[in-house]
Amino acid sequence: MISPYIIHLLILIGIYIILSVSLNLILGYTGLLNLGHIALFGIGAYASALLTMNGVPFVISFILAGLIAGVFGFLLVLATRKLKGDYYALATLGFGFVVYSLFLNLTGLTRGPLGIPGIPKPDLFGLIIKSNFSYLIFVFFIALIVVFVIYKIVKSPFGKLLEAMRDDEVGLRVLGKDTRKLKYKTMMISAFFAGIAGSLFAHYISFIDPSSFYISELIFVFTIVIVGGIASIKGSIIAPFVIVLIPETLRFLALPSSIIGPARQIIYALILLLILMYRPRGLFGRIDLE
Amino acid sequence: MALLLQLTINGLIAGSIYALVASGFSLIYGTNRFMHFAHGISVVVAGYIIYTLFTLLGINFFLSFLLTLILSGLFGFLMFRLAYLPLQNRKASNVILLMASIAILILFQNLVQAIFGADVKSLRYLEVGKGLSFFSAVITPLQIVIILTAFVLMICLYLFMKKTKLGRDMRAVADNKELASIVGINDRKISDYSFIIGSILAGIAGILISLEQNLGPAMGTSLIIKGFTGAVIGGINFVPGSIFGSYLLGFAENYGIWFLPSGYKDAIAFVLLFIFLLFRPNGLFGLNWGLR
Repeated sequence: MISPYIIHLLILIGIYIILSVSLNLILGYTGLLNLGHIALFGIGAYASALLTMNGVPFVISFILAGLIAGVFGFLLVLATRKLKGDYYALATLGFGFVVYSLFLNLTGLTRGPLGIPGIPKPDLFGLIIKSNFSYLIFVFFIALIVVFVIYKIVKSPFGKLLEAMRDDEVGLRVLGKDTRKLKYKTMMISAFFAGIAGSLFAHYISFIDPSSFYISELIFVFTIVIVGGIASIKGSIIAPFVIVLIPETLRFLALPSSIIGPARQIIYALILLLILMYRPRGLFGRIDLE
Repeated sequence: MALLLQLTINGLIAGSIYALVASGFSLIYGTNRFMHFAHGISVVVAGYIIYTLFTLLGINFFLSFLLTLILSGLFGFLMFRLAYLPLQNRKASNVILLMASIAILILFQNLVQAIFGADVKSLRYLEVGKGLSFFSAVITPLQIVIILTAFVLMICLYLFMKKTKLGRDMRAVADNKELASIVGINDRKISDYSFIIGSILAGIAGILISLEQNLGPAMGTSLIIKGFTGAVIGGINFVPGSIFGSYLLGFAENYGIWFLPSGYKDAIAFVLLFIFLLFRPNGLFGLNWGLR
């Protein structure tokens, strides 16, 4: 059988596949550098954890986690609809910080820096997912659906419109397409999937605190998407394996535990920097990020 | 009344630090037109350099101070030459440069943490000392030093930008890059200098912070957000504006505690940042590049 350690890594990889495929939808296909993606992931995690712990059945809170994140995605587009380029990126980063400080300060709801412990395992209509192995199957089942849906979206005429908007927004408007509506729709879809990834994360780890949704985690997810390649679904499925497994080799180097955490971040930041400098298309990217 | 005065003093101290960060950030943004988010880590690196030289190696304080400034300038220069310049030569967009910059920030933050550990350090050069009572508000001598240093540096920076050839060239590049290169200003050289000068300003901020407060590896992110917010409020590409905006932010944060729990201090900056980016991205006094 597979060792528990491998199962643990595979569950995380499954969650990151959902997260990075949904980020690639907004970043690669729509061309919007949404630095608030990790905040949407966090919103999903908190929403799902708080709902289930207040008696809402898992299946409903799982869907609600996606919907609530989707609502925040809508608000994010509403707020940033006039911004472009690095201003857009920074406004979304600002959104991420606002959400982070709300997690930290709404102590009545989120318990602030103490975090929320004891998040129950998912209960699918009476079938409780207890073992990690069944959780792994559950995560990959969800990931498969998400990848399938996003694959269908990007191959559809709607997906072609998104790519056209990314390449030439004004041109698309001249053709009479409402690009603003496209942005709302895509962001809400992307946010929905980020939200359910958050829910899967919260119920697996069973403890969440604000630090899981901060800027260093953002670098991690962006590294995955950029390494996999912009506008490449295949890349965003393969890259999580690569990016999660690379720092795991550090475990065999017998480094002190105080070094392992920073070393992992250093590796991610270095990979991201080097990819941006020398191979901006990543492994399977089809276009350069602009 | 005492509380109001105390909050004003605290706002002035915070604003001074933010202004040092923001002025360097704005200088770099103005001449290079991309967001050097890793500017925050220059502050932290400078703090740890002087900690190493002075506290660990026991070098004389003023020599350590001087060496730290030189190394800070070098650090900024190398960031530009080794990371940003190759990206610019490849015609990478501003968004790519911003992401690279965030990656640099995280890279050095964790490098510092791996070398020095996550616990906070302090310089222990000057005793923090007993606060002076000043109309029933308290201010320590060191805090007076911070306020004065920032004030003097801002005047020097102003004179430098107004009176020297290099300063005028920098303003010309910030105002209109194409026109500046037509009249023969070498914008590569200007970029080099803006990174060196900006990073030295960040270095001074780092030294002052390490004198007065504790030094931690994760400070860079929050400092650059504060400096950046100050810059956005005042006008991100206009150095005097960003200094003004930084003091405004310092006051807004500290007066905000009247109304909000103190945990929200950081949130005030984020909310202000968000509001300004949305409604007034050129800030109160910024040059309009028609960027948005």
